Amino acid sequence: MKKECIAMLLAGGQGSRLYVLTGDMAKPAVPFGGKYRIIDFPLSNCTNSGIDTVGVLTQYRPLELNSYIGSGLPWDLDGSTGGVHILPPYMGSKGGTWYKGTANAIYQNIGFIDLYDPEYVVILSGDHIYKMDYSDMVKRHKEAGAACTISVMEVPWEEAPRFGIMSVNGEDMITEFAEKPKEPKSNLASMGIYVFSWKTLRQYLTDDEANPESENDFGKNIIPTMLGDGQRMAAYRFAGYWKDVGTLDSLWDANMDMLSPTSGLDLTDDSWPIYARSVNAPPAFLGGDAKVTHSAINRGSILEGTVENSVLSSNVTVGAGARVSYSVLLPGTVVEPGAVVEYAILGEGCRVGRDCRVGGSPEADSADTWGGLTVLAPGCRLEDGREVRPGIMLGKNAEEVSK
Amino acid sequence: MNGLHGIIFSYEKRNEMQELGQIRSAASIPFGGRYRAVDFALSSLVNAGCTDVGIVLHGHYQSLLDHLGTGKAWDLSRKRGGLRMLPPFNYQQSWGAMPFRGHMEALAGVRSYLDTIRQDYVALMDGDLVANLPLGDIFESHVKSGADITAVCGNDSFATDDGTYFEISDGRVTEVLYNLHRPRGYRGLEVYIVSTKLLKEMVDECTAKDQYSWRRDVLQARKDELYLRSYIWSGFAAQMRSVKEYYDRSMQLLDPAIRAELFTPARPVRAKGDDKSSTYVGPEGVCVNSLVAEGCRIEGVVENSILFAGVNVAKGAVVRDSVLFKGTEIQGGAKLAYVICDKDVKVQENRTLMGHATYPIVVAKGSIV
Repeated sequence: MKKECIAMLLAGGQGSRLYVLTGDMAKPAVPFGGKYRIIDFPLSNCTNSGIDTVGVLTQYRPLELNSYIGSGLPWDLDGSTGGVHILPPYMGSKGGTWYKGTANAIYQNIGFIDLYDPEYVVILSGDHIYKMDYSDMVKRHKEAGAACTISVMEVPWEEAPRFGIMSVNGEDMITEFAEKPKEPKSNLASMGIYVFSWKTLRQYLTDDEANPESENDFGKNIIPTMLGDGQRMAAYRFAGYWKDVGTLDSLWDANMDMLSPTSGLDLTDDSWPIYARSVNAPPAFLGGDAKVTHSAINRGSILEGTVENSVLSSNVTVGAGARVSYSVLLPGTVVEPGAVVEYAILGEGCRVGRDCRVGGSPEADSADTWGGLTVLAPGCRLEDGREVRPGIMLGKNAEEVSK
Repeated sequence: MNGLHGIIFSYEKRNEMQELGQIRSAASIPFGGRYRAVDFALSSLVNAGCTDVGIVLHGHYQSLLDHLGTGKAWDLSRKRGGLRMLPPFNYQQSWGAMPFRGHMEALAGVRSYLDTIRQDYVALMDGDLVANLPLGDIFESHVKSGADITAVCGNDSFATDDGTYFEISDGRVTEVLYNLHRPRGYRGLEVYIVSTKLLKEMVDECTAKDQYSWRRDVLQARKDELYLRSYIWSGFAAQMRSVKEYYDRSMQLLDPAIRAELFTPARPVRAKGDDKSSTYVGPEGVCVNSLVAEGCRIEGVVENSILFAGVNVAKGAVVRDSVLFKGTEIQGGAKLAYVICDKDVKVQENRTLMGHATYPIVVAKGSIV
């Protein structure tokens, strides 16, 4: 089945910088924005961009991600030709290996891609929150006659050293690439989204695999080698909202961005819907004394207390007299009456007992004693009255874990 | 496949639903913030292990077809069996054009379908019933009792428009009544279990005599000859037949005990998902004692109300004791009390709509006030 363009989604990230929050799941399966998981963003972007064939490369703790993706129905990716396919590492007759790097993961699935004999392959990662029309990027790739097109966005100069930085010429063709440069020559950062002409990429992947020195990584090996060989490399400028949610702080920030219209993250736009596999539960109920302000809420929740500046997922309970401020509560969290939760991320199925105090606010703490976000692992249960200081992270048995 | 087949009736009947009922059959009336009435019948069937369900359709069924799709949301999109839509295809006389006069005529209209039923028993259900019935238990006790027909009855003080009432003695139906000025006995929920064989015999018999009514020509006429058993259901059971009934029953959902019973995790009520974002309550928004679905934006005041998906209540607007269907927009300064807004209604700035608990106002779909 010939396809012009297919997407390969790198979803193998361990999410080690999300620490206990990932629990038993891969990073792309982490809940976001009340009703989504991170992977909903690239999958929905694919569907909205007219890409109907997506390979999802998984390797760490894939159970939750696999069951979440299922047949691909929520994203319209369950077509009879194409659709979404989970691609774990596999054993062949000559043995098999773990995915060694991003490029190796694609290399090991050359067979899958060849099934569709595509002209172009879009490489995506599963840890970014953004809305992007990949078909527009493919158009840019074709018009530039490029072998590879990399989407880039302008970042503040002082943040440039944290990114892979592209230098471009007057036609926005890439002339130089530097991974996390100390002295950046440009502020165009790579977003980790690539379009390749498949014939060219196939050859580079094969050569890269044959090179024992290589780390088999797109950013470290494939891109620099192609650039060195004088391949035409185009930049595709992106100006909308984009956030890597690989850390606890950035995940919290992105959730808060969803609440504020000025952040640029608008999930209510019907022309570019973000799809999700939704849970089945009755609508949220807000009790007679509930005070919910500047917050997102979802189905199955029962809210009797105060909720402010927070993002609440489905099936959350906030008891009478409890207060939740500046926090992100993942599905099934229970905050018992009288408890206070501030500046925290509570993992799936946490229970905060009566009159507990979890976290604190930066205003109440002085700058040097403020410990940061408080985080509870999925399934963590706090006994009544327990106090958890700002910046503390608790594992699933409510034991303290260091960041 | 557990031996029980479902048939849901969704055709136009006399009712007092005003504008709510003009554009859709009662089975697709929105209820409880995210459901359609038929979701409850379908979920009750599926939770009882039922795999095959036919829906008898006539008139204004576009809305229901849109809602049901392939039946995927209820796991009824199957290679064998699953959900079957049954518009009147056995035309005889004027059945194609005229509304069905009763269930027996409706069943005669799909007579060839009855021959394809793989199961030995059929549950007949009205699409306008909102109840989370333990149909598995009801079916089991029907089979054990050896009854010809089991009629499920409600056990509350609610009456319904054009209801059927049963007098019961020792679990046996002794009298079938309707058109009662003052209801007595138990209110029938129009849910019956009967064997496929008997059902087909009765349909053929009624057709031969040009009889069309289930309750008159079967239940009433043959109550002494058949063993008519009752099953009393004490939980929530609402029939959507008048605006007042719709409103009162909707407001009951604000009671946590009723929600807990109707939405028991033991028998989940399945409904189609909405691709909407989370609901957002603004910095000055107030939302109390209300049920709120996805994708709403609440910047004003909402009290004692039920909001379906994508409802917008602007800053300065006050909504009390109301039911707002999907996509309702209430602009700044507008005041609503005891109002039912159908889908996509827009109430413009500073308008005031006041009904009363005894007379809720209905605003028709797509209206701009």
